[in-house]
Amino acid sequence: MAVSTQNTPRSFIERWKSIESREARLAWALILPTALIVFGLVLFPAVFSIWISFHKVDLGNLNDVFHAPFIGWENYKYVINDFAFKFQGIHNWGAAVTSIVYSFSSTILTLIVGTIAALLLNKPFKGRGFARAIFLFPYVAPIISVAFVWRWILDPRQSGVLNDILMRLHLIDMPKAYLATRGLALIIVIIFEAWRYFPFAMLMILARLQAIDGSLYEAAEVDGADKWKQFLYITIPELRYVLGAIFLLRLIWTFNKFDDIFLLTGGGFGTNVLPVLTYQFSFNSFNFGKGAANAMILLAILVVFLIVYISTIMKNEEE
Amino acid sequence: MTSNNYSSNQKDQQNLIGHLANWITWPRFIFSITLTFFLTSILFPFYWMVSSSFKTYAEIGSRNTIYIPHALRLDSYRELFSPSHPQFQHFGLNIINTVKIAVPTAIIAVILSVLGAYAIARLKFKGKNILTNGILMIYLFPGTLLIIPLFSMIAQIAAKIGFAVQDNLAILVFTYLAQTLPVALYMLTNYFRTIPEEIEQAGLIDGCSRVGVIWRITIPLAVPALISVGIYTFMIAWNEFLYALVFLNSHDLFTIPIKINTLVNAPSFRPHVVMAASTIMTMPVVILFLALERFLTEGLSSGGVKG
Repeated sequence: MAVSTQNTPRSFIERWKSIESREARLAWALILPTALIVFGLVLFPAVFSIWISFHKVDLGNLNDVFHAPFIGWENYKYVINDFAFKFQGIHNWGAAVTSIVYSFSSTILTLIVGTIAALLLNKPFKGRGFARAIFLFPYVAPIISVAFVWRWILDPRQSGVLNDILMRLHLIDMPKAYLATRGLALIIVIIFEAWRYFPFAMLMILARLQAIDGSLYEAAEVDGADKWKQFLYITIPELRYVLGAIFLLRLIWTFNKFDDIFLLTGGGFGTNVLPVLTYQFSFNSFNFGKGAANAMILLAILVVFLIVYISTIMKNEEE
Repeated sequence: MTSNNYSSNQKDQQNLIGHLANWITWPRFIFSITLTFFLTSILFPFYWMVSSSFKTYAEIGSRNTIYIPHALRLDSYRELFSPSHPQFQHFGLNIINTVKIAVPTAIIAVILSVLGAYAIARLKFKGKNILTNGILMIYLFPGTLLIIPLFSMIAQIAAKIGFAVQDNLAILVFTYLAQTLPVALYMLTNYFRTIPEEIEQAGLIDGCSRVGVIWRITIPLAVPALISVGIYTFMIAWNEFLYALVFLNSHDLFTIPIKINTLVNAPSFRPHVVMAASTIMTMPVVILFLALERFLTEGLSSGGVKG
């Protein structure tokens, strides 16, 4: 049998092909359940939400959505003219501008804090492993508990612990309502994001730091470069790619993030962002078409940003 | 290497002028200050959560901030668990509901992602790139975008087949699978690629089938990765808020996050009870994480760097 297949090349190819196709069939069988769940529950709904955004869908016809009346761009017009969405001057940014400011500032702050933390943990010291585990706490702890602890720490009453500490230090005279003051609330939310997500950046950066060739630093030392110059001309360039990748991932995730702001401020006091606004349109005023239109605008902003990022920054990095 | 630097720095200190010697101690000073700052700002919220949960209603409501509770009072925990308490919260039920969702999610996610990841890492088939990129696309879509179409889609199917959309824990398991499978798949694919293919080929030559090879060789070698994927998906399901908020109406089916949210928004906000519930919710996650920290961080960072 084996001899005959070697003698006739055609049947050998056929057999080879059949092994290959058997492998392919097995591969599809293995991945099919995952693919079905992901495509059925993520990609199809994503496309379907485009359809919803052009139709009048509310609580009355949610169960019979295919017969919803087509209303063209009406939902988009409603969203763009909604006072919660549009920019109305420096004191009232609207969700679109707030979203952009919020995601960029939190991402940049997360990267800075994450880099500092990674540099700290890259130095050998006693208890480093333990410190690294503690540094990851904010990231692994459930969002609901950390958000409510922050709210409790920032309690506007005099007994709120941050108010108490700052008043004892005579930094403030009166208790402050941190999450209920325009401007301050947005800053606090950004700080919260950095506090919660810096460990993610730290892990990635730490892995990259430990992979840097030590001889680079030795050579720099021989050439008389001080620590700061070594950091500037070796560490930072070596980290460039990983910093770029984390920036992109975190920016997308922060832009899409619902829980954090919803739990901290409920979207009030100048912290309303597009995901929270989508939720409010859909589940407070039960206008699902408007919610879908708002979500599509969110996605469009994200895609525009991705295209700009990939076509400029990634291109420069390749050169 | 760094310790060499330190000792050479110390030698320099003795020889050079005082100005320079001062400068050299700066890095260490800054290092300890920064480390202390990080540790306090990370740990203080957790301390505050646990210590607040041991306060009484009088202590938590007093005008003076109490930094250390006078005694380990279990009032708040009694309110959560003891039926004899006047404001009994049935919290045990919420824990059971969350476990009922998180454990099946983790188990199914591990099984499905082992199969899928093996196919992506080892087998050649047409459309692999499109498929894997399509699955990673999920990162782009916000949960709030998906929840509206998902809800009406499931409502359509439910009306035809005849099951409830709201208050159906099985539906939540499915939506959590959709959220966790891409990450699980990604982590496991990377792990499978680190297992030398020669080991599997030896198995194939010895007459094992592909499925036999996966079962007898690949899975035993991948146990650490399977554990970290399982825990990772468990954590996501345990913590999930938005979908549970939309899909659950009945108080008897609330998961822990939704329960805590209703406790916070109740007319009589009782911070020590919320903090006790948060402590209970955080404990298993932190303990699991500390016990398996090395597996998990390896999984997390290998999943990210290659992206």
